[in-house]
Amino acid sequence: MTYFIFAGDMLVMLFMVVLVIWLTAFGSKEDAHETACIPLKDDIDHG
Amino acid sequence: MSNDNNAQYHDDVVLRLIQFSIFWAIVAMAAGVYLSAELIWPTIDFSQPWLSFGRLRPLHTNGIIFGFGVSALMATAFYSVQRTCHVPLFGHRLAWFCCYGWQLVVLLGGLSLLAGWTSSKEYAELEWPFDIAIAVLWISFGVVFFGTLAIRKIRPIYISNWFYGALIIVIAMLHIVNNLALPVTLDKSYSLYAGAQDAVVQWWYGHNAVGFLLTGGFLGMVYYFLPKQANRPIWSYRLSIVSFWAFTYTYIWAGPHHLHYSAIPEWVQSLGMVMSIILLAPSWATMINGIMTVSGAWQKLRTDPALKFIVLALAFYGLATFEGPMMAIRSVNVVSHFTDWTIGHVHSGALGWNAMITYGTFYFLIPRMAGRELYSTRLANIHFWLALAGTMLYIMAMWAAGVSQGLLWLSIDETGELGFSFTDIMSSMAPYYGLRLIAGLIFLTGTILMAWNLYMTMRGNKPVRVTPPAVDPMYEVKA
Repeated sequence: MTYFIFAGDMLVMLFMVVLVIWLTAFGSKEDAHETACIPLKDDIDHG
Repeated sequence: MSNDNNAQYHDDVVLRLIQFSIFWAIVAMAAGVYLSAELIWPTIDFSQPWLSFGRLRPLHTNGIIFGFGVSALMATAFYSVQRTCHVPLFGHRLAWFCCYGWQLVVLLGGLSLLAGWTSSKEYAELEWPFDIAIAVLWISFGVVFFGTLAIRKIRPIYISNWFYGALIIVIAMLHIVNNLALPVTLDKSYSLYAGAQDAVVQWWYGHNAVGFLLTGGFLGMVYYFLPKQANRPIWSYRLSIVSFWAFTYTYIWAGPHHLHYSAIPEWVQSLGMVMSIILLAPSWATMINGIMTVSGAWQKLRTDPALKFIVLALAFYGLATFEGPMMAIRSVNVVSHFTDWTIGHVHSGALGWNAMITYGTFYFLIPRMAGRELYSTRLANIHFWLALAGTMLYIMAMWAAGVSQGLLWLSIDETGELGFSFTDIMSSMAPYYGLRLIAGLIFLTGTILMAWNLYMTMRGNKPVRVTPPAVDPMYEVKA
């Protein structure tokens, strides 16, 4: 069971590492900023 | 820019859910205050079974979590998913079904707890008929939420929706698996699990209910309403994505820290402890992201009650998510477990984090829905200080009581016998319990003030009709 858990944890670590690399290397800064701004311009009457 | 959608956001169901949430907050907090009085004067149950601690306590916890908390989560999820997707709710009638169906379950479920119906699983006390109703309503909630995401006009899925989505999926899974049982009568069923397995499944559910409902769902609130109220985008959107996945992967393993020194395998306990400590990283990443979002807009804290509540909630979130991992360490847990320290920890989260962020969100929402200023900013400021004072007094009293209990229970005299009897220790707790009663009354008073303030703000008004704005073609979903 220990090896099973260890393997699972390593897969999670791998996912997290790939996620961070993907976000920093391939994710566009402009897209991230534009997405972050969604709540600031989502209704006409109440800006 | 294209804006071919003349439909308006469905805010009427949001308003009704907020009203129910505030109602349940007052009822369940009043039950909590009564319970704290019972711990000082046990005879005030007047020998009535329905007034006994064992029946009122689950009414208090279920009322807060499912009545106050879930109603607020449904309201804010429905409000924010429409706006972040630039479309009205998918399945408007189904949203109303969720709203009223949920209130009926909370009401009848509460009465069943007072009548003594219980599965005896903490935070999952409701018996099987209610479990089935909850599953149906929760899936309906998911259909409305994910249906709205599916018809969205804007391509990116904003981070708050990831947290609300995780809340819906994980809670559905936890609720169904933990409540698998064999019904024998209308009011009694037996769990499919037995012994230590039952305990592991129960705390897998119990801790992740805290994780994905009381933390993840409310983080969805933070990520939407904090930028709105501060009028600034979230400080680091990338950090929010990393912390979401780290939070999701880590939390699901942390449950066994509720079962230290029990009959479950030691490696499971160790796993729960280690994952709980790792959890500090995504929790604090979120807190720092939130605090940094307000950076540069600190002057608003002087005049804006909604923002004050939201920022204070983040501070308590940081406190509770530091304290939790520390208490999950086995050598600390040996002192804290079964003591009032745990009660203090829970309430630093429930009052300081969940209630404060909800209050801040309601102070944001109601004036906007009413289309007018808040009835009284002064009352809101008084509420803020009452909420802060009540929370601080509550958790400090419980910390002092809990640490005292833990250390005194562990003390051994020179002959190897217990230094103090259990009853002696508990009877010396009356002053702390008195402080808790006062703290609860202060917090409840603040909540009643808010209810009055928001009622006067909304009185006679229907929610302002709001139309989704045009979407930037670069980020528009192509048909």
